[in-house]
Amino acid sequence: MTAFHGNEMEQIQTDILIIGTGGAGLFAALHAKQANPDLDVTLAVKGLVGKCGCTRMVQGGYNVALAAGDSVERHFMDTIVGGKWLPNQDLAWRLCETAVERINELENEVGCFFDRNPDGSLHQKAFAGQSFDRTVHKSDLTGIEIINRLMEKVWAADVNKLEEHRAIKLVRSADQSGIAGAVLIDMRSGKYRYVAAKAVMLATGAGPTMYRYHTPSGDKTCDGLNMALDLGLGLRDMEMVQFHPTGLLGGPDTRMTGTVLEEGLRGAGGYLLNGDKERFMFNYHDAGERATRDIVSRGIYQEMREGRTTSMGGVYISMAHLGADHVAKSFPGMVKRCKDCGFDLAGGLVEVVPTAHYMMGGITFNADASTTIDGLFAAGEDCGGVHGANRLGGNGVANSTVFGGIAGDSMAAYLKHNKSWRDADPNDLEQAIADAEYPFTKSGGDIFQLRQALAETMWEDVGVMRDQAGLDRGLATLETYADAINEMGISGQDHAFNMSWHEWLNLKSLIRISQAIALAARGRENSRGAHYREDFPDTGSLEDSANTVIHATDKGLTLSLEPVDFTIVKPGQSLIADDAGIPPPSAQHQQELIS
Amino acid sequence: METLTVQIWRGAETGSFASFSVPKRDNQTVLDVVTEIQQRQDQSISYRFACRVGVCGSCAMTVNGKPRWSCRTHISSLKSSVITIEPLKNMPRIKDLVTDMTGFFDKWGQAGNVFESDKTRQDAPAKVDPSSQQRKAANAAIECINCGVCYAACDVVSWNDEYLGPAALNRAWSLVNDERHTGKQDTLVAAMGAGGCSNCHSQGNCMTACPIGLSPTRSIAGLKKMSLFSLMGKQDG
Repeated sequence: MTAFHGNEMEQIQTDILIIGTGGAGLFAALHAKQANPDLDVTLAVKGLVGKCGCTRMVQGGYNVALAAGDSVERHFMDTIVGGKWLPNQDLAWRLCETAVERINELENEVGCFFDRNPDGSLHQKAFAGQSFDRTVHKSDLTGIEIINRLMEKVWAADVNKLEEHRAIKLVRSADQSGIAGAVLIDMRSGKYRYVAAKAVMLATGAGPTMYRYHTPSGDKTCDGLNMALDLGLGLRDMEMVQFHPTGLLGGPDTRMTGTVLEEGLRGAGGYLLNGDKERFMFNYHDAGERATRDIVSRGIYQEMREGRTTSMGGVYISMAHLGADHVAKSFPGMVKRCKDCGFDLAGGLVEVVPTAHYMMGGITFNADASTTIDGLFAAGEDCGGVHGANRLGGNGVANSTVFGGIAGDSMAAYLKHNKSWRDADPNDLEQAIADAEYPFTKSGGDIFQLRQALAETMWEDVGVMRDQAGLDRGLATLETYADAINEMGISGQDHAFNMSWHEWLNLKSLIRISQAIALAARGRENSRGAHYREDFPDTGSLEDSANTVIHATDKGLTLSLEPVDFTIVKPGQSLIADDAGIPPPSAQHQQELIS
Repeated sequence: METLTVQIWRGAETGSFASFSVPKRDNQTVLDVVTEIQQRQDQSISYRFACRVGVCGSCAMTVNGKPRWSCRTHISSLKSSVITIEPLKNMPRIKDLVTDMTGFFDKWGQAGNVFESDKTRQDAPAKVDPSSQQRKAANAAIECINCGVCYAACDVVSWNDEYLGPAALNRAWSLVNDERHTGKQDTLVAAMGAGGCSNCHSQGNCMTACPIGLSPTRSIAGLKKMSLFSLMGKQDG
């Protein structure tokens, strides 16, 4: 035990520390143990293993080129075109290529029991923005099947579990040569733990929960991105926040608000109606309600801005014209979820709003899941570059499981040549405790109200549609929030399972990452995919595409633009004969557009 | 404004109820009520949640005597303006509404619930007839999110510490019907062992409590039947 600021800190050692237990973290643990069963692997998570994060919440499925007529090249081209030429092509290629092996691994080794065609082969359904029906799924609850089976494998493996342990700082080595470990809070006891590790993996899943309406689970608050900034890592494409058009709207005082109603409802023929109960999507796009996520989100947002809203400030989704019984049978999970929340999806009107769903941006990382810090690896939504300006539905869980597994392989290989622990930088240990103890030294202020204010600012000024004036205003307001939280404390001194303390820490991460999003959004003076600038509505020259990169410096966050390196295809070129990103003719009628 | 009287368990194995008054709203779940109290009345209250929509199985609590998902239990469905919220039964208590689910997860494994296969990531997935009886039986039990509600509702679990419980056995039923699973015999032996399926009294509390309408009772009955055939040395059905 070592004392810091009067707080004792227990020190433990492990070979590999993995922070986060969604698809990326669990796959990394399994692969590392498979590569070398003698490795000591430790999973740390803010909640319970496998129950945090968003892999579990995946409804739609898993994109993979398996069937005759499809190819890795085709999947890759759909990903590049969907990402508006901003993806890192080596990462996108690795995603599409490895997805084939990974889906077989999920089926054959992990035990996922995906849905089948009548001939017994894996069923693959249509999904928006893709030129082939390639989405493997288990009904409309694919994520539950994937995570449940991964959990069973991890529970059975000899892996250490630090549940309800929050990582607060990635610790550098005393000689600054690489990663030494991480400081965690044991949330149940409130005590600090330093975990020394030869390799550390970030898999906390980012998550745009700083918006008034958002889909991710409550544990996700961008802690991984915040810790990465402290370590000097760059965050790329942070302006790219995907909004899902149909989040449930239940008012300001319920956690049900913002949760996703699946896109298949629109694909099946659902109507969106404004406050006057009129369809409006054809005013914005020829595909009406079946246009892609970004277009529908902007259509809804425009109706809201012009005041044609429901009583709670959104629009309606209406399914009843398709027959209430048919809807109840086709979407049992959605209908039950709405019913439990007090709404009749099958026969009535349900209020919806666009809701922040996924961050395409994140840590700049390599195709082997390594980062610029020696010994630090990352995968999943914490990372940027795979999806560029927009993520195809079905590429999210593929991303976390593909690169999670790669991270496990890479860490095991890394440990063959890096057999010792690095000495921790004592300053980092000091700083970690000092920062976490800080709110106990203050009193007064209302962090919950501040979080509400943050949610409003991000929604109004850094949201679905952006412009220079709004982003300037947003950045100025965020600055005041960054100051305000430092004046706020939490009541009492009890550290054990103190959710209000953790909400303070959550908010600290969210404010800083909100600043990164706003700064990147102001820096991108064109409109691509999820990022729409009303003052720069054009795509801009594809050949001159650039990625935004945010770094933390002594002077605060800085932005730079880095040209996209088209390593495989250049704009105007393609690896396939026909158009990428356009659904095959057979699918255009009954297109399912699921998350 | 109409108000709710909310009694929340404070403490761990020993403790007492604290009473709060919360405004009643149109769209309000039990999780919302607990959140509102934590955020506006008493910051020290502890509870657990993650997904908010009935997918993660983190937030179950005992609400007016019954185990339920707090995130998907609408206040109006309780038909009472007095709400008593306690941690789940049959699990050790950590603090306030938070329980230690470790034993529940350990038993999941003890029921033989690890998929085994002779295929690898280099092979194509097995062809499985989606309309076969086996696949249908596996599918009927497969969507469990391991929330622990059935485990908390089970009387046998409350008096028999060894009993693996409905969720673990429900999963075992899915697995023994998975034609790809090469460890079927191991799973069956584990599921019919000391704490296994024969302990179930078929009272059906699990089935009544399951928020997604699964029937562990039926799964366990299937396991009992299969184990009987297995003991008789016959091909199981």
